[in-house]
Amino acid sequence: MIKTAIHKIYVILGKEDKGDLEQLSRTLSGLFSYMNMTSNLYLVAGNLPESMPQVERIRKDVIKFLRENLFARLYLHFVHAIPQTTVKGIDYYFQYYYQYLKRETREFDQEGYVYQEVPRFMLLPVIVPDNRLEPALLITLLDTLKGAFMLPCLYLDRSVFFLAQDKDLLARAEKVYYGDDDSRDPAEIACNMFNGDLLDDSLAMLTSEDRFIPGPCQASLIISAQDGKVYTCMDAFRKNESLTDIYKSNSVDALMTLYYEHGRSKRDCLGCRARIPESFADLPISQGRKQRIGALLCHFGTLCHDAGNDIQAVEKYEQSLKLSSVQEAGHINFRLGLGYTNIGRFDQAVKAFNKAKLTYQSQYYFHFYKGRCYFEMGDYQAALSEFSQALHLKPQQDDLVRILIYAGSCHNSLEEYEKAVVVLEKAGKAAGHVKEIYNALGFSYFQLKNYDKSIKNLLMAVEIDPCSAVDYASLGANYREKGDFDKAIVMYEKALTLDPDMILASENLERLKKRI
Amino acid sequence: MNILLIEINPFASTTTPISLGYIAAYLKLNGFGVKILTVGEDMSLSCAGFHELINSFKPAMVGLTAYQRTMLYVKGFARLIKSIDNNIKIIIGGPQATFMPSSAFAKLTDIDYICRSSGEVTVLSVAQAVKNRAPFSDLLGVSYKSTNGDVFDTQELEGFSDLDQYPSAYLNDVFDYSRMREAIMLTSRGCPHHCIYCYTPEAFKHRITFHSIDRVMDEIRWIRKKGVRRLWFADPNISFKPERLIELLDRILSENLELEMWMQTRADLVTKELMKKMKQAGVKTIAFGLESASEQVLTRLGKHLAIEKVVQAIKMAQQQEIEVELFTIFGLPFETFDDAVKTLEFVKKNNVKIMGNTNSQQMQIYFGTHLAGHYKDYNIRPLNTDRPAYISIGSQYETEYIKTSELHEIKNMWRAHSLDGGKRIVS
Repeated sequence: MIKTAIHKIYVILGKEDKGDLEQLSRTLSGLFSYMNMTSNLYLVAGNLPESMPQVERIRKDVIKFLRENLFARLYLHFVHAIPQTTVKGIDYYFQYYYQYLKRETREFDQEGYVYQEVPRFMLLPVIVPDNRLEPALLITLLDTLKGAFMLPCLYLDRSVFFLAQDKDLLARAEKVYYGDDDSRDPAEIACNMFNGDLLDDSLAMLTSEDRFIPGPCQASLIISAQDGKVYTCMDAFRKNESLTDIYKSNSVDALMTLYYEHGRSKRDCLGCRARIPESFADLPISQGRKQRIGALLCHFGTLCHDAGNDIQAVEKYEQSLKLSSVQEAGHINFRLGLGYTNIGRFDQAVKAFNKAKLTYQSQYYFHFYKGRCYFEMGDYQAALSEFSQALHLKPQQDDLVRILIYAGSCHNSLEEYEKAVVVLEKAGKAAGHVKEIYNALGFSYFQLKNYDKSIKNLLMAVEIDPCSAVDYASLGANYREKGDFDKAIVMYEKALTLDPDMILASENLERLKKRI
Repeated sequence: MNILLIEINPFASTTTPISLGYIAAYLKLNGFGVKILTVGEDMSLSCAGFHELINSFKPAMVGLTAYQRTMLYVKGFARLIKSIDNNIKIIIGGPQATFMPSSAFAKLTDIDYICRSSGEVTVLSVAQAVKNRAPFSDLLGVSYKSTNGDVFDTQELEGFSDLDQYPSAYLNDVFDYSRMREAIMLTSRGCPHHCIYCYTPEAFKHRITFHSIDRVMDEIRWIRKKGVRRLWFADPNISFKPERLIELLDRILSENLELEMWMQTRADLVTKELMKKMKQAGVKTIAFGLESASEQVLTRLGKHLAIEKVVQAIKMAQQQEIEVELFTIFGLPFETFDDAVKTLEFVKKNNVKIMGNTNSQQMQIYFGTHLAGHYKDYNIRPLNTDRPAYISIGSQYETEYIKTSELHEIKNMWRAHSLDGGKRIVS
């Protein structure tokens, strides 16, 4: 088994310190050997001119590694704000920073040309524009960068969300990242970029597989050049749970040993993936993307439901409904109805099922689930109406029996004992040995004063489940009504042995003993 | 002795490396320990991880499949392997290697052998030579370098004409089924036709050889048992013998194997009855080679296929609700810009979805093809005359009829019409 390779490294750059830069460079150079054949390095700077020595040094290290390892590909994303707002300022940026960074990478463009493939080294500037920057100027910059074989991306925080309305601008960006506030702190930017990529990863899985169960995010490392702390993922970074400190420990091998031993094993990766889509709900993204995020939230809801966490499932379905298309609403409402049912919010479940009616009304199970909600709410007439519709839609054998048992129980609750017997006997014929049927029939026949048939059914029930206190108590009641007090006492005593807190049985037992 | 076989394609998801699987099975049955490493874009592999693999498995020989687009990676891996253990012998095979000029071999300093003939038999003979510590004795079907670097080409080696003589990669469990979503089947090899742009007919000397249907069924049953129900038939012309394919489909149907299949064949090798049977048996997609919808181009490609036949085949498949894919190429000899546009229009007109394999690509001139040896006769002008000798012309050319700018324009037109961004599955 080959150990997982690191796919992404985020370096949050800080102010220049020669000693620290030396150590950062040594660490990264060592880490390249642990990186995937195709990998991404993100250098997140607040300010490019200040971070330029670090960017330049790291670029040199990358080039050295790639020259020595022909099978490796690396995409270097350098993230930075552009405070310039004039043509002259932008031109200055291009000439003095981008062109300069690009110069030494041309050998990889040439290599790509010779081998007829995408270059192994690519520079991808991620621009964090200022809100005073004219879109037209930004478009010119993106065009110029593309012309120089640098594929530009955009990072838009809240202060520049208006740029997301500019289709011409967006069409020129390889990718657009969003920040959900107006912070320009490199750490915050790194987190938001990571979240954007993780969301894309989850969406891609959703497209390719019907029922994917997402694993951890792509193996990553986050290095804060400010204090030397290393984190195994963005979740660990946010929670300040660092793995080590590169300014205190020199060994990359030791770092990676720690990474493989402890790094990712205890993290709630599914929870992390499931939390991220919510934060994208009110970003200026396209309707189509919002709908896909809605579908993803619905999928996470289903995973929560499968894991037995219906409270979280309901939350996800509710969020999903806000984003999803009208066509999907029926499916989500149905799942929401199931979620509400499982947490006992039956009135809300019925409302959700009603909204799913158009999509599901031809499905027997829809009426069954809805009927169950009415049953639990004590509206037995409404429940019977749903169960009857379910029965007309030819349910599967197992479900047929369940529906008939519920219908029989409804009749019992409505004191329609003869109807209950008809339905429950039908269930018995369909199912054979099912305790709930015998129990319910025992109750119906008891109410109809047919004690022998009641006893016969209850004996079957305790044969299936010898620990059923309630069925022994019901047997006691039947024998009592028949005047067979000794047997009744035995049954009540048996019921109390199994459930000493059964008040009904103890009261009856006391009364019978007094009577004898 | 252990042998590591590596397939590299960092530009696509990992697929079942069927050719390496055959070689692995053959080596395994001849007493060698074999491991296959597939390096796709979804594979996690670092330099350190590769070191660990080599140090733990300790292969005496490593085989690498070489394609034009992976030559740099092949070189990179070879260099890394030699840096770990200089005694490990490295052999390359595959489309780029078979017809690679011997002069190019001298430049590939870390590579010891080029497999030129049938992979299974050739690699076994090299493995045995390495095992016997006589790495250059009794070799056939290879080029090798002597200790002082001189290149020698040995006599060709004939593979088996009855493919059943090659042990099955599936039945001998050389693949990891836990990650397999689709099994690649190869029920026949080779192609008897003479398409001037294609490597396959030359590599197989215009012959086609077959597995028996019994063997194919044994494999399918085994794959199905392992939980895989999607099959991709890589045979160039699966219906070359229609009665053979019908027998296969009938047996799949009679055993109720519930498969989802992808097949490719020539458009003039299908009938309504065959399509109907394909649909019943679970063929979801059929791919035909159109190459060009311009009569004046198509007739000069050695393909001998009438466009009308392609139209009919598409209709037959669509009537059966089988998804159609069309392989097309632009930048063909004698093709003008207008001819190339005609092909795009043809695909649209015939309601074939432009996605997956229907995304067109520029013709690639690979070693071994008729065009690689005669490109001048077709007024093809290579753009980069400075390329290394182990890289063929590929797509770096212009023709008398189409310029680079026009090729870019055509490429962009296809991409603009593509439903999936233009990524082709089979290259």
